[in-house]
This record gives sequence, structure tokens and C-alpha cells, in this order.
Amino acid sequence: MPLAVNNATKALAELLVGGKEYVALMHLHKTFDRNELAKTLSEFTGKITQLPPVRSNVKRQYREREVYYMDILEIEGNDVLFKVGVESGTYIRKLISDMGEKLGIGAHMMELRRTKVSTLSETEGLVTLQDIDDAVYFYKNNDSRLLKKTLRSIEEALSFMPKVFVSDEAVDTVCHGSPVAVPGIVKMNSFEKNDRVFISTLKGELIALGNAVMTPTEIMHAKGGIAIKNDSVVMKPGVYPSYHRAN
Amino acid sequence: MGLPLDGRKFELYTIRDESTDASYGAYPADRSIEQRMDFGFILLDKPSGIRSKTAAATAKKILAPLGANKIGYSGTLED
Repeated sequence: MPLAVNNATKALAELLVGGKEYVALMHLHKTFDRNELAKTLSEFTGKITQLPPVRSNVKRQYREREVYYMDILEIEGNDVLFKVGVESGTYIRKLISDMGEKLGIGAHMMELRRTKVSTLSETEGLVTLQDIDDAVYFYKNNDSRLLKKTLRSIEEALSFMPKVFVSDEAVDTVCHGSPVAVPGIVKMNSFEKNDRVFISTLKGELIALGNAVMTPTEIMHAKGGIAIKNDSVVMKPGVYPSYHRAN
Repeated sequence: MGLPLDGRKFELYTIRDESTDASYGAYPADRSIEQRMDFGFILLDKPSGIRSKTAAATAKKILAPLGANKIGYSGTLED
């Protein structure tokens, strides 16, 4: 489960765009044909419509979600262990009962484990609450190594986003909520108009997140104007000096 | 086979060569613990019996003495 601290919490929403991967254990209510099961899994791959479960926090109306892939890992009796990659907001319990219905024998979810959020694999660098507690203990005893390993950076979690790098002089104005103007940009990745963009310092620190108003080609040819409109500022003002324009 | 953003690669376009002043900010890998707090990210192995909300609150309690005023989490298991 991804956690973010202090101002980094403002960047958490970005992790929802990349989808999720789970390993689920499905229990089928009667014996089944393996070919039928494989066929059903492929029928439920791609765009599907789901009615959110009764006990959910969203409005109960059919909504479209995408199942990117399903992969059977193990079959034992009536239990099927499989891996599934889905768009955010897909209910796996619902997916399983819908597949059971389609097979005509019924099915329900026994266990669920999330293995990926966005590009973060939950098999790498996962820490427990006990690990955090231990890290704080060592830190208090003058050893910060474990805490540095436990407390990673939000930049690492957002490595899948395209970036624009702004000059030191432009950082503080962005921290105050100003959009990124063309003259402040030093370098950038490729992105399309309206894409979500990571606004970075030249050191790779996250300043803010926003939407591209211009394409990189337009930015390279423009003399001025707004290039990125930011909506969530993560860096606090005052980390970089503020420069006042003479005019 | 993967999620949509897996292995996404980007081109880099340089408009001008410019350096950054080492006296401001810090490279993410070189941050002090205090600086890490404001850009902190933890991938928590949540105990299966407890709610996401409870796990996040416990993490906050542990890290509060070091300056964590707020801890947010993304996504519950089934959504």
C-alpha cells in the first residue's frame, strides 16, 4: 500500500492512473472445464462493464473498466489462482463472481493480494509497520541508514511521468502556485498536450504536478507563454530563493 | 503483458545548458531525514487483518516525532 508523507500526499492521485495488478484466489462452486475457464477469462479481458458491489463507496451504476490481462498461475480442484492487471476502480470480487455466473456454476473470491500499483511492484522495497518502527529506533540511536531505506522519495514513485526541468530562478514562483512559463524551462521529456507532467528542479526534486498546455515542440519555438498549468504543489516555498523581476 | 505505464521511456530535449546551485534544495538521494519527510514515500506491506486507514494512522504515529504531520495512502484493496 503506497503511503506518502506531508506535502507528498498531494501527489498520491497520480498513482491511480497506471492501473493495478493483483493475485487472486477464485473458488468455483462446481467442477469446470479448463478450456471453458480459459475462454471466460479471455472474454473478461479488455473493456468490461461492472456494477459496483452493494458495500462500496461509489454510486451503484454500471461503469466501464479495462482488464489489461489475466493469467492463470495454478489450478487445484475448484480453486484457481490467477494474476490480473486492471484499470483503477475495477472490483476484483465482482469480476470473479461475474465470471462464475458466465461459466454457469458460480464463483467467489477467497483471497486477494495486490502486487502492483502503477509502476510500483509490491514485491520490491516493501516495508512493514515493524520495519518503520525499527528504522525510527535506530535513527534515534544515531543510525539513519535503515530510515533512509524505508522512507523513499515521492520522485521515485512518479518515475513513470514525463518531466519538465525548470531553472533555479523559476522554482520558487512555481512553489507559490504560478504556472510554468516557457523561459523557465531548461529541458524536458516528450509529452502530449494535456498530459500530466512532473515539474522538476534541475536536481530532480518534485516541485509540482500539472497539465501540459504546450507540446515540447511548441515550447522550443515559443518566446514566452504558459507551458504547464500546475494544480498540485508539493515543494514548500522558500526552498529556492525568490527572484524579483526588475520590470 | 503489463500495465499501461510499465517500461514507459521518454526522449529528453535540452533547450539550454544550465547548472543548479548546490546551496538550494537537495538531490533526492542526498536528502536529510528532515528533508525526506516532505517528499516521503513508503511502500507499506499492510497487515491483512487491519484497515488501510488504521495502518496509515499507525505509520503516522511512529513517524510523527520525526516531523510527519500528515500521512496519506492510495487505494484500498478492492477498488
